[in-house]
Amino acid sequence: MTAVLTYLAGKAFRLATLLAAVCALSFWLMHISPIDPVQAYVGAEMMLVSPEQRAEIAERWGLDEPPIERFALWAASLAQGDLGTSLIYRQPVSTVIAERFAASLVLMGTAWTLSGVFGFALGVIAARYRGTLTDRAIRWYCLTLASTPAFWLGLLLLMVFAVWLGLLPMGLASPAGVRSDDVTWLDRLRHLVLPALTLSVIGVANIALHTRQKLIDVLASDYAVFARARGESETGIIIRHGMRNVALPALTVQFASFSELFGGAVLAEQVFSYPGLGQATVQAGLQGDVPLLLGAVIFSTLFVFAGNLIADVLYRAVDPRTRAEAPA
Amino acid sequence: MPRRLRPNIPAATAAVCLALALAVSSAGCAGTDTGGASTASDERPRDEIVVSLGGEPEEGFDPITGWGRYGSPLFQSTLLARDNDLEIVNDLATGYEVSDDGLTWTVTIRHGVCFHDGEPLTAHDVAFTFNTAKESGSIVDLGAMESARAIDDATVVFTLSEPRSTFVVQLISLGIVPRHAYGPEYARSPVGSGPYRFVEWNPGQQLIVEAYEEYHGGAAEIERVTFVFMGEDATLAAARAGGLDVAAVPASLASQVIPGMRLVAVASVDNRGIMFPTLPDEGETTSDGAPIGNDVTYDVAIRRAINLAVDRDALVEGVLEGFGSPAFSVSDGLPWSNPDVVFDDGDAAAARALLDEAGWTESAGGIREKDGVSARFDLVYPADDLVRQSLALAVADQVRQIGVEMTPVGASWDEIRMAMHSDAVLFGWGSHDPTEMYNLHHGALAGREWWNPGFYRNPVIDAYMDQALAATSEEAALELWRKAQWDGVTGISGTADAPWCWLVNLDHCFFVADGLDIGPSRVQPHGHGWPITADITDWRWE
Repeated sequence: MTAVLTYLAGKAFRLATLLAAVCALSFWLMHISPIDPVQAYVGAEMMLVSPEQRAEIAERWGLDEPPIERFALWAASLAQGDLGTSLIYRQPVSTVIAERFAASLVLMGTAWTLSGVFGFALGVIAARYRGTLTDRAIRWYCLTLASTPAFWLGLLLLMVFAVWLGLLPMGLASPAGVRSDDVTWLDRLRHLVLPALTLSVIGVANIALHTRQKLIDVLASDYAVFARARGESETGIIIRHGMRNVALPALTVQFASFSELFGGAVLAEQVFSYPGLGQATVQAGLQGDVPLLLGAVIFSTLFVFAGNLIADVLYRAVDPRTRAEAPA
Repeated sequence: MPRRLRPNIPAATAAVCLALALAVSSAGCAGTDTGGASTASDERPRDEIVVSLGGEPEEGFDPITGWGRYGSPLFQSTLLARDNDLEIVNDLATGYEVSDDGLTWTVTIRHGVCFHDGEPLTAHDVAFTFNTAKESGSIVDLGAMESARAIDDATVVFTLSEPRSTFVVQLISLGIVPRHAYGPEYARSPVGSGPYRFVEWNPGQQLIVEAYEEYHGGAAEIERVTFVFMGEDATLAAARAGGLDVAAVPASLASQVIPGMRLVAVASVDNRGIMFPTLPDEGETTSDGAPIGNDVTYDVAIRRAINLAVDRDALVEGVLEGFGSPAFSVSDGLPWSNPDVVFDDGDAAAARALLDEAGWTESAGGIREKDGVSARFDLVYPADDLVRQSLALAVADQVRQIGVEMTPVGASWDEIRMAMHSDAVLFGWGSHDPTEMYNLHHGALAGREWWNPGFYRNPVIDAYMDQALAATSEEAALELWRKAQWDGVTGISGTADAPWCWLVNLDHCFFVADGLDIGPSRVQPHGHGWPITADITDWRWE
């Protein structure tokens, strides 16, 4: 019991220091960036907005305070659970993130599941038939995917399936001109296919190649040779002796890919005009919306941290050896 | 994606619509009188369009925080409006009067206009809108207005702190919000008296609006408009896939052919021009340490010669691929533009003669010199803007012919801010507000923010522009603005003081579905996209 508590306390401490460091760093980066939020907001109207009015905008946004004080103020309200108000959306940051993340979650969840299942299956098949044409084809496919920029693949898919074949929609998360109450699940699914496919590609190659390598090692191990000598079929060996061993690297890669997933979502959402958190984060960065950007940073940090934590916990469940050693 | 119906609207329908519009505009508020007019309008053939114009207003649709300053506020109406010739016409107002001292503006409001929720629009809503906007700390700059007060339901009085003829621009651009339904959520569910009712907005994705039957200007032809928010590439791809009826595209993509759509290039004052520092370099700096002055561009002969030598038609053809027009002022084609500022350009011989006369003699390297100063200076442009880069390179090529060397230098806006008082800079402006001309050229604003970075000062011009601001009639103001550009003796034009060398006005390009008539679009301001919606009530299927 104490071991678990110590473990949790250690993780919580790490998370707290990580968040503090990431926030301070992001704030400092935004501060030294040449983007002036007032200028970004005023934009093309800059010839018509007087310096007095600019000062008023800056004052309303609290930008007239020195940076250290602004950060302290922000941190103080964060401690009370208030993430502040987004400058560009004029809404509470928590509302913006909740709204946008709902869309992103579906996209990332689908892509993540697809890449996990698909990648693992490909890896196992490649290892089972190692050296054959099947194996070579899968490896070729994985290496090609691994060296393909996601946004480029997205554009390619868009050209083929949306423009040439006209099978799938051109982006957005629902059909144009249809109220969200009237959008069917089939519509949503059709709009999800291309972005999710694009995003899933990031993970597939990684998982497939890791799984393949580990499974080849397992199949060459003493216990696999012994099993084979006993007359067990190759497939039987893989199911009975391979799966658990192979699951470990696959799980690591799969949960560690949370960060890549988040980064990939930003690109995929841009290409497919998908209204997710990535799109909002890009806007926040480009327009100097510090509260929203910091909110997104906190959120993505939590997200990635959670991914790693889940991997840690699952390790213990899958592999008894880690449980026995388990120092906090 | 459901296919949209595109029935042909017979010519007779237009007449019916007009009659209907008149009937509706004279009718009372919804709920109080929904007699024959709305029954008849149900039989009208209606349909919908999907457009991608970019520029999603992230902060929502609240005029008080800046929504609708370009194009139509869509959901709201304004007191005054500009017609397609950019003349000022009444919208909610039935007229306005300016007192002799220019400090009191009295606007009378038309009777019987209703908000989308059926409540009548009165002078109290107008006063509320202006007073709230003044306090909002937003892009809406009402610094010159002291207060707005409703005298009765139909009259509102604005008190200004100083005479300001350009206050009329606020009457044109600020959409009126309902006092009874304004609150923190207003920007996400706007209620107004404009031609379209708000239906739904999915941020980052689309905005759906529907025509407001009781619109006082006559209900819009297009029943339902969906604005989708996509990037430039996605917009073009969506247009190709047949999903869009109007698509805003950059001029660089406009030469493509999209089946079922035609290209509409709309003239604009979205201009590009070169700003010259007009002070000599005497080692002065601004408070930020930016150097002031340039010994070459200080000489008005150099500035005039460059204006003469630049071949603007060649720039339009070569750089803009024809999607643009030559620019001779910051306000080409606007009511306050002076047609006399246009001259025969691309005249290298005249430019050379002018430089010879001013004492700039050609030296061995082909670059002119005067009193030991070589005619070389940097032309700074924002490095991320391809059009400006191409313009800078092309212009530098053209003026080398007359022995002046401009070196194009790409820079970030931060670097430009430090360089703009001592180097020539390729800027872009263009607004439906003459305040822009004032701010770019008035001596009192030299070096303030981005205004008049060249420290240009001419007391005669300053006086014209001050008088134009203080004028109590629109006509008088327009005349004075024109005089500031050229009064027969002096001016800010390229053949007079030439503090700028204006190059081109960009065309704003749209792909429009065949059969969709978007009317004769007006000269557009700097922003691409939304301004095309200014006359959206007249759009219709042929």
